[in-house]
Amino acid sequence: MEKSALVIGAGIAGIQASLDLANRGVKTYLVEKSPSIGGRMAQLDKTFPTMDCSICILAPKMIECFRHPNIELLTYSEVKEVHGSAGDFTVKVVKKPRYVQADKCVGCGTCADHCPVELPNEFDSGMGIRKAIYLPFPQAVPRVYTVDKDHCLDCGLCKSVCNAQAVDLEQQPVELELHVGGIVVATGFDVYEPLRITSYGYGRYKNVITAMQLERLLSASGPTGGRIMRPSDGRIPRTVAFLQCVGSRDQRFGYPYCSSICCKYAVKDAVLIKEHRPDSEVYIFYIDLRVFGKGFQEFANRAKKEFGVKFVRSSPGEIREDTETKDLTLWYEDTLTRTVKSLKVDLVVLSAALMPRSDSVELARILGIDTDRFGFLVASDSLRHPVDTQVPGIVGCGYCLGPRTGDIPDSVMQAGAAAARLSEILMAGSV
Amino acid sequence: MEEPRIGVFVCHCGINIGGVVNVPEVVEYAKTLPNVPWAEGNLYTCSEAGLSSIKDAVKKNGLNRVVVASCTPRTHEPLFRSTCEEAGLNKYLFEMANIREQCSWVHSHEPEEATTKAKDIVRMAVARARWLEPQDEPEVDVTDSAMVIGGGISGLMAAASLATQGFKVHLVEKEPQLGGITRRLGKIYPTLQDSSEIVDPIIKAATSNENIQIYTSATLKDVSGYVGNFKVAFKKGTEDVKLDVGTIVLASGALNYEPPKGSFQYGVLDKVVTQLHLEEMLAQGKLAEPERVLMIQCVGSRTGEVWTYELSDMTQSFAARLLSKILGAKKEEGWPYCSKICCMNAIKNAIRIKELWPKAHVDILFSDLRTYKEYEDFYRKARAMEVKFIRYIREIPPEITEAPDKKLKVAVYDTLAGVETEFLCDLVVLSTPLCPSKEDVMLARMLKVPLGPDGFFMEAHPKLRPVDCQSDGIFIAGTACGPRDIPESIISAKAAAARASILMANKKLKTEALTADVNTDLCIGCGLCEELCPYGAHKIEGGKSKTIAALCRGCGVCGADCPRHAITMRHYSDRQILAQVEAMMAK
Amino acid sequence: MSEIQSIPSAGDTARDESASFDPRILVFTCNWCSYAGADLAGTSRLQYPANARIIRTMCSGRIDPAFVLEALRDGADGVLVTGCHPGDCHYVKGNFRAEKRFNFLKMALKQLGVEEDRVRLAWISAGEGEKFSLLVRDMTNKVRELGPNPFKAPNIKST
Repeated sequence: MEKSALVIGAGIAGIQASLDLANRGVKTYLVEKSPSIGGRMAQLDKTFPTMDCSICILAPKMIECFRHPNIELLTYSEVKEVHGSAGDFTVKVVKKPRYVQADKCVGCGTCADHCPVELPNEFDSGMGIRKAIYLPFPQAVPRVYTVDKDHCLDCGLCKSVCNAQAVDLEQQPVELELHVGGIVVATGFDVYEPLRITSYGYGRYKNVITAMQLERLLSASGPTGGRIMRPSDGRIPRTVAFLQCVGSRDQRFGYPYCSSICCKYAVKDAVLIKEHRPDSEVYIFYIDLRVFGKGFQEFANRAKKEFGVKFVRSSPGEIREDTETKDLTLWYEDTLTRTVKSLKVDLVVLSAALMPRSDSVELARILGIDTDRFGFLVASDSLRHPVDTQVPGIVGCGYCLGPRTGDIPDSVMQAGAAAARLSEILMAGSV
Repeated sequence: MEEPRIGVFVCHCGINIGGVVNVPEVVEYAKTLPNVPWAEGNLYTCSEAGLSSIKDAVKKNGLNRVVVASCTPRTHEPLFRSTCEEAGLNKYLFEMANIREQCSWVHSHEPEEATTKAKDIVRMAVARARWLEPQDEPEVDVTDSAMVIGGGISGLMAAASLATQGFKVHLVEKEPQLGGITRRLGKIYPTLQDSSEIVDPIIKAATSNENIQIYTSATLKDVSGYVGNFKVAFKKGTEDVKLDVGTIVLASGALNYEPPKGSFQYGVLDKVVTQLHLEEMLAQGKLAEPERVLMIQCVGSRTGEVWTYELSDMTQSFAARLLSKILGAKKEEGWPYCSKICCMNAIKNAIRIKELWPKAHVDILFSDLRTYKEYEDFYRKARAMEVKFIRYIREIPPEITEAPDKKLKVAVYDTLAGVETEFLCDLVVLSTPLCPSKEDVMLARMLKVPLGPDGFFMEAHPKLRPVDCQSDGIFIAGTACGPRDIPESIISAKAAAARASILMANKKLKTEALTADVNTDLCIGCGLCEELCPYGAHKIEGGKSKTIAALCRGCGVCGADCPRHAITMRHYSDRQILAQVEAMMAK
Repeated sequence: MSEIQSIPSAGDTARDESASFDPRILVFTCNWCSYAGADLAGTSRLQYPANARIIRTMCSGRIDPAFVLEALRDGADGVLVTGCHPGDCHYVKGNFRAEKRFNFLKMALKQLGVEEDRVRLAWISAGEGEKFSLLVRDMTNKVRELGPNPFKAPNIKST
């Protein structure tokens, strides 16, 4: 019985599972596909309903993972093969080449200052720019730069300016074979891009953005330094409309399920916009306002009472753009008064659905576990064994298991439950 | 105290510091400071070469304190502290001076000013280092058994997880039987299984595990001690039981709220019941085939909710009616939060009624329908079975009156259709929230854990520590923390078990080294420290403040407020901080 | 508590050319929020005047008003106490305690004739690097206008 575990995915769920396992005495390999740990929570500005600064509460956990004697961080790495069974899995992990030596890089950023290539930054949901040699965000862990070889010009400028001689453009991928007793899947979610919902103009109208893009604009360390500058002209919007259930609860576009957290984050973002600009008008267009759970109804009440956020029960039919000003007009039916109205706004935020990651099905195949028709992992018994998969010894946690309650405490608890399940197996052989 | 011999190591960090700050000048300056027999510059102090250099210098020069002037301590302080330990020094005899993030990187166009500032920063760090003292990292033993309070499914699952991992668990339940509120449910959503299919295996797993000792009909009397060392006392029948445990899992559950008499005619008309009553009626076959059942959501929850309306959009009569209702509204009885599970629960019971009696009409009056995640499918299923969903607004609540033939008349304004509607029904079912028990107040006091503003037990941090209590060693599972459905309760129970197991598995707990130290000669027992400490780390005993080191987190609030300056904060003493303050302006 | 009123553009030069003296500002920061915010200003390479000197404690609740008085006595031209935003304190409510003490301190300082802008309290989260840099800039400019600290004890050499 190998008293060790593999955690796939280093968002808050993966980080928490790793810490709970490592503190329990289980040697844990934390594998993350992107160059830094942190996941979606690192992209958020504030978390509901407490309005904590997201990265501020996440960063200490990231550093704890990095320094923990029982956690080995394998970032920019992917799981390729898995064989074996509970207590004795053999896993092949490939460390992709960063073209920067992690033990030499001090994270100073001189290389990025000189790199001539500019690209949209994935971390900023396309709202910001990075270079071909980059750190995804300022608080990245590990603080090691990475070369995006697909877009690198091979000019060698980064190598020549690096004082620590850390750049190695010849670096090769490294294959590792790990032997672990249990596996935790914590790969999280992607945000639905509502291009097919053409009536909303996403992808055509510059001032129609997703909520994740708004988070990056709100974020103090984001591309606009926390100023909500609307994409077309950089103006700070005076009227903002949130549209709920974009691609959720939808049997035509996107997904039929409810993504569980969009109403909550819309209320949060609306409050943040009001805080940034108290004279703004913020509308939330919803079907059912799903602010359930601890403190959320109260939070929504505050949004209405203290901040004057307006809630309209309606699913707008169409958005049209003024081609000159790039302002937007929404057409909707207010279901309370049953009148058809229009509203002119400066910015539209789409609360887009949260969906499984594009590679979740492939990873499930590698692990030999089931996914549902959307690509989420399926628990072996959603009521009694909510974190177990069909394969003993492989558990899941976080949004990769589906929307559930969907928020951060839910992911943290699922991570704890996953760690408990693996401890039961590894410490006592109980499968 | 020994005479300080401080070594100063100034890092170039490549060009990050060296490109702005004149490092050699700072090194030379450091040598002029009193108590600094050694100063050197390094290219990268954090590299192998730099660390070796520190160790060599400590040995060769008999250094007893080390200052590294480089980047922020938030990255490499632990590394340098370990290096000091390797060189034979206590790790708290180390100080860092931040001349990168807080100097060279923010004054990169002013090298002269940055160099002056770097010298000042080094001088302040050296001044502090003179007063640093070695600190111990105390350890407390952790008793490797746990107490679980509550024998519902959450308590049982937490106990089972811990017991499987090899820990002894004592489970205390105040009722004679196990299973909690889940036992009283007929069916479970969304699978529509019998609740016994869920509850019975969980009870069996706990009762058959030899590591779990179960005490039913037992009431908790007293809890004292602290993490790793709790002393608990409870009464089982006439027997007094005393135990020593290392951790506690609180799984005391929640109650189903009963509306006050008269609310929607509850307690007045016997055909108005709660969902839990309906469950019991269905389970015991006590419901005759109804023609129409009407359910009302959010009764006793979401109280005090605020809505804004554009009156100008409405018909005059409707606007007038709405206004008069709002202005004449009484304070709602109940709880302000949303109980999360009632929408699904109502739909579950609606589907059950439709399955038993396909011809029966079932109407659900709702405000927001909260069938989150894949429960959306359950909602669709109900609609396909012709359960009707009618949206009302809370300001104009449905009105219930008696009707002939033992029926009830319910009048409600259907906002989606825009009409006043009336129903004649056989049964009105009120969906009420899960709410905290009044006994929770006593339990909270006994365990010294706070209740949140909603009356449920409060987590240490709502986002990142959802199963920890503010008091170390106590964890929360299940609905004791707030309304939850079954999978969420089970998940929280396992998470609580994971957290408790970490403490017990390690057998010893390293507690904070940098804690408050009370000089009992100066202490007058005023009690301010006890009042201020958020962790309960100070207790006035025998007229003096006694510190429970295991609970102290070293925040320093007591140290700053003690009127007699009787409290010294280790590593952040007045002397150390004032040395830095004085050094700022000195030359 | 004073907060920055306006947001000057980041392109301002770090030093006002017409300055007659260079103020020294002592900044107390807490380990979890404001110190991290100051670090973020650094990693973001935000430039601000080199007039501040930072002291780190674990919590803003550690700050005894006596430290502020000592700083003024020693010749600091301005003192800035910073901590986590209300509700965010790593130690639950240390910052509330800091604020309470600070308010009493301000009343006492007012009676002594210490100007309003010389001693300030501000909340900085770990993500507010820009806010930190602007705060130091604002404080430096305001204290420069007030002039050197007239309260320092006579045997302390001035800068």
